Amino acid sequence: MAPPSDTVPPPPRTPSAVPRARRPHPLLAPVRLLRRHAVVVAGTLALAYLLVPNLVVLVFSFNKPAGRFNYEWRTFSTDAWTDPCGVADMCGSLSLSLRIAVLATLGATVLGTLAAFALARYRFRAKGTANALIFLPMAMPEVVMAASLGTLFLNMRVAFGFTTILIAHVMFCLSFVIVAVKARVMSMDPRLEEAARDLYAGPVQTFLRVTLPLAAPGIAAGALLSFALSFDDFIITQFNAGPSTVTFPMFVWGAAQRGTPVQVNVIGTAMFVLAVAIVLVGQVTANHRRRSR
Amino acid sequence: MTIRLSGLAKEFGDFTAVHPLDLTIPEGSFFALLGASGCGKTTTLRMIAGLEEPTAGSVLLGDDDITALPPHRRPVNTVFQNYALFPHLDVHDNVAFGLRRRGIRSVRKQVDEMLELVELGGMARRRPRQLSGGQQQRVALARALINQPRVLLLDEPLGALDLKLRRQMQLELKRIQTEIGITFVHVTHDQEEAMTMADTVAVMRGGRVEQLAAPAELYENPRTAFVANFLGTSNLLTARVTAADADELRLDASGSPLRLPAARGNGVATDPGGQLLVGVRPEKITVTHGADADGVAAGRNRLDGRIRDASYLGVSTQYLVDTPACPAFAVYRQNTDPDPRLVPGADVVLHWDPAHTFGLDAAQDADAGTGEDAT
Amino acid sequence: MTAVVTPGAPAAPPGTPGAERPPGRRPRRRLTPYWLLLPAALWLAVFFVAPLVYQASTSVQTGSLEEGYRVTWHFATYGEVLERYGEHFLRSFGYAAAATALCLLIGYPLAYMIAFRAGRWRNVLLVMVIAPFFTSFLIRTLAWKTILSDGGPVVGALDVLHVLDVTSRLGLTSDDRVLATPLAVVCGLTYNFLPFMILPLYGSLERIDPSLHEAARDLYATPATTFRKVTFPLSLPGVVAGTLLTFIPASGDYINAQLLGSPNTQMVGNAIQKQFLNVLDYPTAAAMSFVLMALILVAVTVYMRRAGTEELV
Repeated sequence: MAPPSDTVPPPPRTPSAVPRARRPHPLLAPVRLLRRHAVVVAGTLALAYLLVPNLVVLVFSFNKPAGRFNYEWRTFSTDAWTDPCGVADMCGSLSLSLRIAVLATLGATVLGTLAAFALARYRFRAKGTANALIFLPMAMPEVVMAASLGTLFLNMRVAFGFTTILIAHVMFCLSFVIVAVKARVMSMDPRLEEAARDLYAGPVQTFLRVTLPLAAPGIAAGALLSFALSFDDFIITQFNAGPSTVTFPMFVWGAAQRGTPVQVNVIGTAMFVLAVAIVLVGQVTANHRRRSR
Repeated sequence: MTIRLSGLAKEFGDFTAVHPLDLTIPEGSFFALLGASGCGKTTTLRMIAGLEEPTAGSVLLGDDDITALPPHRRPVNTVFQNYALFPHLDVHDNVAFGLRRRGIRSVRKQVDEMLELVELGGMARRRPRQLSGGQQQRVALARALINQPRVLLLDEPLGALDLKLRRQMQLELKRIQTEIGITFVHVTHDQEEAMTMADTVAVMRGGRVEQLAAPAELYENPRTAFVANFLGTSNLLTARVTAADADELRLDASGSPLRLPAARGNGVATDPGGQLLVGVRPEKITVTHGADADGVAAGRNRLDGRIRDASYLGVSTQYLVDTPACPAFAVYRQNTDPDPRLVPGADVVLHWDPAHTFGLDAAQDADAGTGEDAT
Repeated sequence: MTAVVTPGAPAAPPGTPGAERPPGRRPRRRLTPYWLLLPAALWLAVFFVAPLVYQASTSVQTGSLEEGYRVTWHFATYGEVLERYGEHFLRSFGYAAAATALCLLIGYPLAYMIAFRAGRWRNVLLVMVIAPFFTSFLIRTLAWKTILSDGGPVVGALDVLHVLDVTSRLGLTSDDRVLATPLAVVCGLTYNFLPFMILPLYGSLERIDPSLHEAARDLYATPATTFRKVTFPLSLPGVVAGTLLTFIPASGDYINAQLLGSPNTQMVGNAIQKQFLNVLDYPTAAAMSFVLMALILVAVTVYMRRAGTEELV
């Protein structure tokens, strides 16, 4: 059934108007390849920018520098690796940092997890204030927190040392734990806990058997972050440490002024390799488990 | 075990989810709470489970008042919407969860038997994530049933399954219920699901029960326009009572005389001059071409009209017929012996047995329950 | 099967046993969140809020360490601070802004690649972004001293490409060297805070449904338009979060300026640190912290408002 011809608009496109793919010039192939993969090229360069310093640290851990500073390559040597604690005070500061990091993580994780449950699970009047209080430390330059806490300790005549560092570390790690745990708890299906209660688990049982295991990844993430932040913190520590308590970052800082021992690179590389290995092993076993089931 | 709800109500702030409700669910029955989302059916179920605290009223299980009991003390188990399987536990531990919480140590044999019953024999060590929707559904069922609850509550248990699997599971659930003989309370928005499985259906709307009856009774003699439209399709038209006796009402619908058995009038306006809504299901109606109108038997309700639209549906053909009493009357006609004259524009006579007519109170919205949430 | 129903039955009269709420459950639950929150809130109140308040009072005190400090409402300290350290503030915000822009420029392609092009390498790449964290950042910053050292390969290459001519004309470098120049400090800041840009960017990019790209292509958008009109607007929350997470700590940093810069590249952080730890002039240090905090607050508010009202809907 053909409609009257005067109502039919002329066909908008003759076949030749359809855009036709042009045959590309063969010599431009590399250019096209680069253009198509521009993102990958740029991304890879960015990754290199991130990782080159680690590579330098690794290479220079095998250096035998001429003077006190380890900035220029001389000769290959494994001296530092065979005697990592050969520098005065370095391993002591390392163990101090580890102790502080473990305790700060423990404190921040316990306090933070409790608070995260309050914020994720309950509605209450002071919630807005609480959220602001938790957000603020993350939105403040470290120097400001460092100087103000230091001033307070100073005027309260609190002796600087292990305790003041620990207090400061728990303080700035708290917010990160709360954010990590809160996100996890909020994404948890409340019906799972209802199911547990329906299946004869009392409040305590429900928490231990269902809530806690489900929140565990968030708690672990928060704890890991705390550990890393505390172990690596310099600014807040420097303002709250006092002269005789030297953490590992403070040792490195001092070394940068007086002369950097190669052992610093050894520690840096060892931590890097250890951490990456742990992550990779975890990833591989997770993959393996997923596939085998 | 019999469940009795008396004056059970739930308010969330200003919103009343469930108006005071009195309901008795007999022992061993398969009871369905049917309604669109937000009608209060899930809230009612959760109050029975103990997951929601009632604002007023009480829940009785047999002779025991369990209103104040927390969920883990109630001999009642739930199959949750989307199953709520514990993702950190495998199938075996999910199913064993309830037994272990009650201090039962050797659960192996029982769990294996239960998994056998729901045909998940080799799956004990899998995680819920690795199962298909149908398998997850069966784990949820096994996890609840293994506790031998007095009552099993099912909250939209088949909602996440595709149509074919849903059919299969409907029969399966019905079979299991018959086998173990405990009370099932089933919440669903799918009228077909409720009709296939339940022996008693409570249709809920706006926090109230609209009608409670066996599926056939609900369908054949709905008591409100909402029920008439929510369960299947109904043609509803306004009519005036012209005469009434003990057995029958004589009605006038825009000039067409109709008859309605008094027993099917649902007790609405019977005085001459009173208004009511008359309903009839599309498949009860015969459509006859106008040329054969003389062949229509006397004593049947009949309406003259003209076909507006015809849709071929395979098994049947659906006609939309304009009549003076009601525009767009829906009629289903089996495709056993097609009549080629029944095309849009043809004049036809619609007629049906008066015994299939039902009457409703005219003071309600004739379109209630036809909305898209009523599918 | 018999079942009885009374739809819409009147509410049970008050006083019937069923109408009573199970006793003793509600009020206890209302206090729970406060108990859970208390330890953390107390910790933050005592060791974060109280110091800030105390800091405010310190900034208007006069006195000395030996005789003790007294609040004398000495607001002149603020004037002195701005006069003496105005340049430090300018440098701080200039360097931080430059580093933030560079982070965005460098981080976006990488985040995009991980989100859309990495396939099953996604997790490995994410680990590689986070991996540098595991080496103390002071050690890594010192490594830049080696990389950028005078006569090293990087400086040599930049020299050959005449990049150093351009940067020295812009005042970013001098004397054909990179170390001890603003360029080195910005480079170090960019490096140190790059992961803080990449992770939020990745977070928001990863949430974008790839079929949106296909839909845009289907609707006649070129790859460039697809990015401009679809991908980038959808990644804005990540851009905002990333820029804040980079800018705020970068503007208060003093490690990069100390290790990679010279006395001419000192930032506010350096000045605060010196006043606090060496000069022991606490009121000045406090006043500087406060000005820094106030300026950041203003900058962030303005930025959030612009980003928030125009694009983040």
